[in-house]
Amino acid sequence: MSLWRLLPFALVLAVVPLLDSSYLTSVAIIIALHALPALGLSLVMGFAGQISLGHAAFYGLGAYGSALLALRLGLSPWLATPAAIAVTGLVAYGLGWSIFRLRGHHLALGTLGLGIVASIGFVELRGVTGGSIGLSAIPSYPLPGLDLAADQSFFFLAWIVAALAFLAAGNLVDSPAGLAIRGLGDSERGAASLGIGVARLKCRIFALSAMLAALGGALYAHYIGFISPQPFGVGFSIKLLVMVAIGGFRSIGGVLAGVAFATLVTEPLQDLGYYDVVVFGALLVVITIFCPAGLLQAVRDGARRGIRLLAPRAG
Amino acid sequence: MTDLVQFLLGGLVIGSIYAIAAIAYTGIYNITGVINFGQGDMAMISAMVAISLYETGLPYPLAVALAILFGALLGAAIERLAIRPLRNHVLRAIIVTIGIGGALEGVAVVLWGTEARTLPSPVAAHTLHAFGATLPSHSLAVLAVAGALVCGLALLFQGTYIGRAFRACAVNPFAARLSGIEVSTMSALAFVLSGVLGAIAGVMVAPITLMQYDTGLAIGLKGFVACMIGGLGNPVGAFAGGLFLGVVESLASGVLSSGWKNAIAFLLLIAILLFRPGGLFGELERRAR
Repeated sequence: MSLWRLLPFALVLAVVPLLDSSYLTSVAIIIALHALPALGLSLVMGFAGQISLGHAAFYGLGAYGSALLALRLGLSPWLATPAAIAVTGLVAYGLGWSIFRLRGHHLALGTLGLGIVASIGFVELRGVTGGSIGLSAIPSYPLPGLDLAADQSFFFLAWIVAALAFLAAGNLVDSPAGLAIRGLGDSERGAASLGIGVARLKCRIFALSAMLAALGGALYAHYIGFISPQPFGVGFSIKLLVMVAIGGFRSIGGVLAGVAFATLVTEPLQDLGYYDVVVFGALLVVITIFCPAGLLQAVRDGARRGIRLLAPRAG
Repeated sequence: MTDLVQFLLGGLVIGSIYAIAAIAYTGIYNITGVINFGQGDMAMISAMVAISLYETGLPYPLAVALAILFGALLGAAIERLAIRPLRNHVLRAIIVTIGIGGALEGVAVVLWGTEARTLPSPVAAHTLHAFGATLPSHSLAVLAVAGALVCGLALLFQGTYIGRAFRACAVNPFAARLSGIEVSTMSALAFVLSGVLGAIAGVMVAPITLMQYDTGLAIGLKGFVACMIGGLGNPVGAFAGGLFLGVVESLASGVLSSGWKNAIAFLLLIAILLFRPGGLFGELERRAR
């Protein structure tokens, strides 16, 4: 059944190239790249019930890690990306052991602090990261016969990778391990009482989530070709939070809808200056108050109610 | 030696701003159990209101008074429209306050653009010398305002009926409700108080660091850290935590670049969270709700 989850990906992969619009293609790429860290955040926040306000740091670690391995060591991007993802996963696993001693507000503040320290680190470690200027001339993924720096071909790479990640995440959530994760999200004490190693599980899911974010970051770095600290700040962590909130926190398919909605709504606003920030903030407030299960679910409920009103009553 | 005195004094001044912001958090946290992530942006937007009013030609005291009133109304509106509907859901309330912070920041950019603006000091510019250190007169004004605020709040909380009701809600909201205290009124009061304190912090910091759309985030985050150092929900601890953070940052700025100086606060935050989650002075005793 879980193959149904690939339907939206197949649709996008089939329809967007047909439309032959360079704007639409680039927006679609952004959606795929943001969907990976958002999927990771959804696993941690929605399913495992642990708040993280610093996920942009892992997106940044993936981007800087892969770019640096390719630039400084001359590794092929195809090798640099998995290496950067592995390193990010290890870092997150290690951090998890200490940060998950915290709960609730303290966890929110701790992860926020980590995110800020990381974003300051990206700027201040000038010798390694190039400071606020960043790194440029990052090689794109080499593939004989295809230029993966071009939007038209990178689009396929980004969406195929995203589809595989969503398929894997969906399978994970449905598996026995996923049941344990959801149990943890419902009640930590309840999960622990059933013999689930809560501390270890939190670290694992956090590491997995960070690796998804790093995958998105690495793809971003090799696609854009240059990176600076700016996109990896706290602002992006908040943006991810909005996307996951729109999707309804606990829905794998909802994540994609949330990312797509947030990107399509705010992308045209970006040229007007900071209106996108206002919209993001307002969206977060309205959705959290009025549709805690996500915008998608609210629309679905609304439609169901509408159908019930319109349908003739059965005698 | 003189350098040390200079850093210490500078740290105390900026620390008292953090301290005012930190006290604003503790009030809301004690009553509602929510950390208001939009606190810093409330301070920023109130300061921007003061600056705009002052620039239209209003006298300084009137501009500041109106800005404080604006802060109070903003706090009340946020409590009523966004926090009260979510009363029992802390995680969602945190997310909502993050959204409010973002929206306020965006509104500030739309209304005032991204350039930094300044507000004059309430006292005449003057440089004082003490123990071989120099101190601008505005710094003394900041210290005086912070001191007066702390004394005023202490009197309010200890000496008045409403202050005692406020503390009762912080210790045990259920028992407070049973004794006829309107907890939702106290929650609104906490937000009004934090709006007022935020406006004062914003107005006092504007002459020192300039004010722009993203200054609020910095004030707010440093306020958190101060709060956590002192113990979440403990106003005296929060004040001490603010001064402590200011001094540590100021001393560190003698050694480190300004970028890393900002990281210190958050490294300190993480260390405190991990090793002394109740803060250096302990959390106010509270029941799980």
